[in-house]
Amino acid sequence: MRAILDNTRRAPTEVDMLLLWSGLVLLLLGMVMVYSASIATAEGSRFTGHQPAYFLVRHGVFLTVGIVAAVVAFQVPLTAWQQWAPYLFMAGVLLLVVVLIPGLGRDVNGARRWLPLGPVNLQPSELMKLFAVLYAADYTVRKMPHMRDLKKAFLPMAAAMIFVGMLLLKEPDFGAFVVIISIAMGILFLGGLRARLFAVLIVVMLVAFAILIIVSPYRRERIFGFMDPWTDAFGRGYQLSHALIAFGRGELFGVGLGASVEKLFYLPEAHTDFLLAVIAEELGFAGVLLVVALFAVLVQRCFAIGRQCVTLDRLYPALVAMGVGIWLGVQSFINMGVNMGLLPTKGLTLPLMSFGGSGILANCIALAVLLRIDWENRQLMRGGKL
Amino acid sequence: MKPHKYTESPVLHLKLDAWRSRAIVVLLMAAMVSLVGRSFYLQVINNDFLQEKGESRYRRDIEVSASRGRITDRNGEVLAISTPMKSIWAIPSDVKLAPDQSRALAQLLDLEQRELNRKLATDRNFVFLQRQIPPDAADRIAALKLPGIHQEKEYRRYYPSGEMTAHIVGFTGVDAKGLEGVELAFQNQLEGKNGSRSVIKDRRGQIVEDVGSIKPPQDGRDIQLALDGKIQYLAFSTLKQTVTDNAAKAGSVVVLDAKSGEVLALANWPTYNPNNRERLSGAQLRNRAVTDTFEPGSTMKPFTAALALEKGKFRFDSLINTAPGKLTIGTATISDAHPHGVLTLAQVIQKSSNVGTAKVAGTFAPKEMWEMFDSVGFGKPPRLGFPGEVGGRLRPYAHWRPIEQATMSYGHGIAVSLVQMARAYSVFATDGELLPLSLTKLPPGPVTGTRIFSPQTVQEVRTMLEMATQPGGTAPKAQVPGYRVAGKTGTAYKIENGVYARKYVASFIGLAPASDPRLVVAVMIDEPSNGRHFGGDVAGPAFSRIMAGALRTLGVPHDAPLNSNLQVAQVVAEPEGM
Repeated sequence: MRAILDNTRRAPTEVDMLLLWSGLVLLLLGMVMVYSASIATAEGSRFTGHQPAYFLVRHGVFLTVGIVAAVVAFQVPLTAWQQWAPYLFMAGVLLLVVVLIPGLGRDVNGARRWLPLGPVNLQPSELMKLFAVLYAADYTVRKMPHMRDLKKAFLPMAAAMIFVGMLLLKEPDFGAFVVIISIAMGILFLGGLRARLFAVLIVVMLVAFAILIIVSPYRRERIFGFMDPWTDAFGRGYQLSHALIAFGRGELFGVGLGASVEKLFYLPEAHTDFLLAVIAEELGFAGVLLVVALFAVLVQRCFAIGRQCVTLDRLYPALVAMGVGIWLGVQSFINMGVNMGLLPTKGLTLPLMSFGGSGILANCIALAVLLRIDWENRQLMRGGKL
Repeated sequence: MKPHKYTESPVLHLKLDAWRSRAIVVLLMAAMVSLVGRSFYLQVINNDFLQEKGESRYRRDIEVSASRGRITDRNGEVLAISTPMKSIWAIPSDVKLAPDQSRALAQLLDLEQRELNRKLATDRNFVFLQRQIPPDAADRIAALKLPGIHQEKEYRRYYPSGEMTAHIVGFTGVDAKGLEGVELAFQNQLEGKNGSRSVIKDRRGQIVEDVGSIKPPQDGRDIQLALDGKIQYLAFSTLKQTVTDNAAKAGSVVVLDAKSGEVLALANWPTYNPNNRERLSGAQLRNRAVTDTFEPGSTMKPFTAALALEKGKFRFDSLINTAPGKLTIGTATISDAHPHGVLTLAQVIQKSSNVGTAKVAGTFAPKEMWEMFDSVGFGKPPRLGFPGEVGGRLRPYAHWRPIEQATMSYGHGIAVSLVQMARAYSVFATDGELLPLSLTKLPPGPVTGTRIFSPQTVQEVRTMLEMATQPGGTAPKAQVPGYRVAGKTGTAYKIENGVYARKYVASFIGLAPASDPRLVVAVMIDEPSNGRHFGGDVAGPAFSRIMAGALRTLGVPHDAPLNSNLQVAQVVAEPEGM
């Protein structure tokens, strides 16, 4: 393990190039695929004014804003992030409350997830994922001396997360709920919360999910659609069946960029939640493999940087880095699993790739924070000071 | 691994367990690997099943419409042609129109906006908004880029010569199947075989790409009619004029090529515009020359004379006493319009004496007279191929009463169509052969018919018919300058509700040039009511004009001096028998 870490440490660069490039490739490939996936629907819709490049232009703007924000975020030392973390978290909670207020939040397809801000919509739950990482890491570091104390270490965080979770379920945004709970639990687990507690918690949560799913017809519908999309292929299983068809059509090397049929009004949400299906159809198994591999590299880099922090006794950056790894790993896994029919359908985008301003912005800042952590590590190892 | 216990130092105590992060990484990597496995299964192993599901959703076999064959006249002039048009259809659930879009669409579709909304307010997911609109209007609709509004290529049948050839050409329905006339008669040849192509369509019905092989459409065969456009025009316009001048109810003209049996012209009035068939009445639609029968009257007499000559019972100049212009058979009396006294057989025809003809017919056995009628095609359809062809009425001879046989000899108590009559006259135009009729152009070469009369008989009847158009005959107005014309007038009472009414059918059937007949022209005017009703006065001039023009069109050499028409002015037509 140490040898691997040493290896990366000896890289002559100022930043982790592997992390940087896999992030950039995902962002750029995402933009190309968003354009390809949206071109037909954009041209065919009066809502977009029949402009084929409607989503491309917006995605490009989001990327630009995201990269500018990332450059700014890179300048911010982790100590500052740690100081701001509780306030950012509170601001996030406030936004989640605001989005639920009728008249302020914007309703799309029965979900109130967006805050209209002039020409763009803000999706607080996307930003909340970043804030949850920053805050959970800060919380865990502060509580670390008491990690074996259930009352002190776990319950306050559990209370905060239950509150946030309820706000998210109110929207509803089940996907963000799962991701944020995973982040909080994961960081607590990394921080040393008792393993037995986790075993209990996992059981409790499974039961809770089961109840949620049984109680809510909206979620139950999605569950059954995922179990067998072909029994009700034109009803509940419609979206998934088309996603699976897209995978099947792609074969090894795809039907070619731009040649997807599924994106031609068959597959709903092709440029957002089901972008991977379009990638699978147009670029084939090879394209899917590339995307999965890039996310695996990202996750591996997050944890590698995190562990490097640990060796440098930088606990907060370590937990932030690993927290981002959990976030990107869990969200990309859920999104791709949904696309392939491994998991029940929920509204989660593919990080760094899917269309959506708030998501791209949050993802870019998260990568910048990671690069910053790595950069600070490198400075320290050269004997420099922060 | 357990937390470290070997130190009290808070810094060292706050160590993160490496196994925990490793566990999470392993978990996440395992998840990623499962994704790769699942993806491989879907894309490489199980892709047949998924592709099949996909094809069932967006692969469609669509028809490629073949174009229908053209119909042309004998010179290649187009009488019916299929032009590409567009049909506009909609998936109503996809259609969302702003008020101004709705207005624009309705206008381009030539629909009331209310009507458009009514068509769109359906539960079905396919509805035709308008069929067969011109391509430019369709292009403008396409330019509106309205969701849920789609187009399809169709063909529309166009008839350049319109009402002039309406009855002979007929028309097709909206599904491009022939409904009338040649369009129906030659449906099998004209209709193409639609091809098919397999395509992938997007959810809105637009074709994305072709898959598999394309079966090209086989276009229908062109049909070249025997019809001569110029003669048809002449026949039609003359007919129209004649019907109007005589305030008649209707009329028909048939022009046959006496050498081949080809139908060179066939016109009816009233007619209709096949390009715009709104408000069509049955009267306009009827192809009277083929579907309507009438009692021909005196035009039947030459057949009686021919049979008399053929059987050797009379000679050209056998004398027949028609005085006192009346003849009583049983309880019925037949009469001539003017008593004539003693006439030769030729004069009986020339002056159209009913009494004379009836006396001649009295010498026949009913069977031999029936056989003659049957052999020239009366009582059975002429088998032109037209829909609704009638055979007319020729009652079985076994039940003929003498008075019936007598009236039949001059064309009453027997009903025929004008086409049957024209064809029967072809016997006198050839040297005694009845030719099969043909609607389509025949290859050059002699046509063999069925021998009915001997050339000798035909020669003599033709002379009698020529006399009828000369001074002392019933139809000097049927003369054609520069040609010898042979023909016979007919003025028949119409039967209404089983009794003869004071309404007439005036007709003239003739052939020219008499020395070597090239054409048979039959003219029938139904209910002339402008003071004149005799065939020679009403149908004769029309015959003359049509025959003159047709002979000139065909470049038929003259067989008479051009000034022969000088006699016409001096001649007063002799009234004929019934």
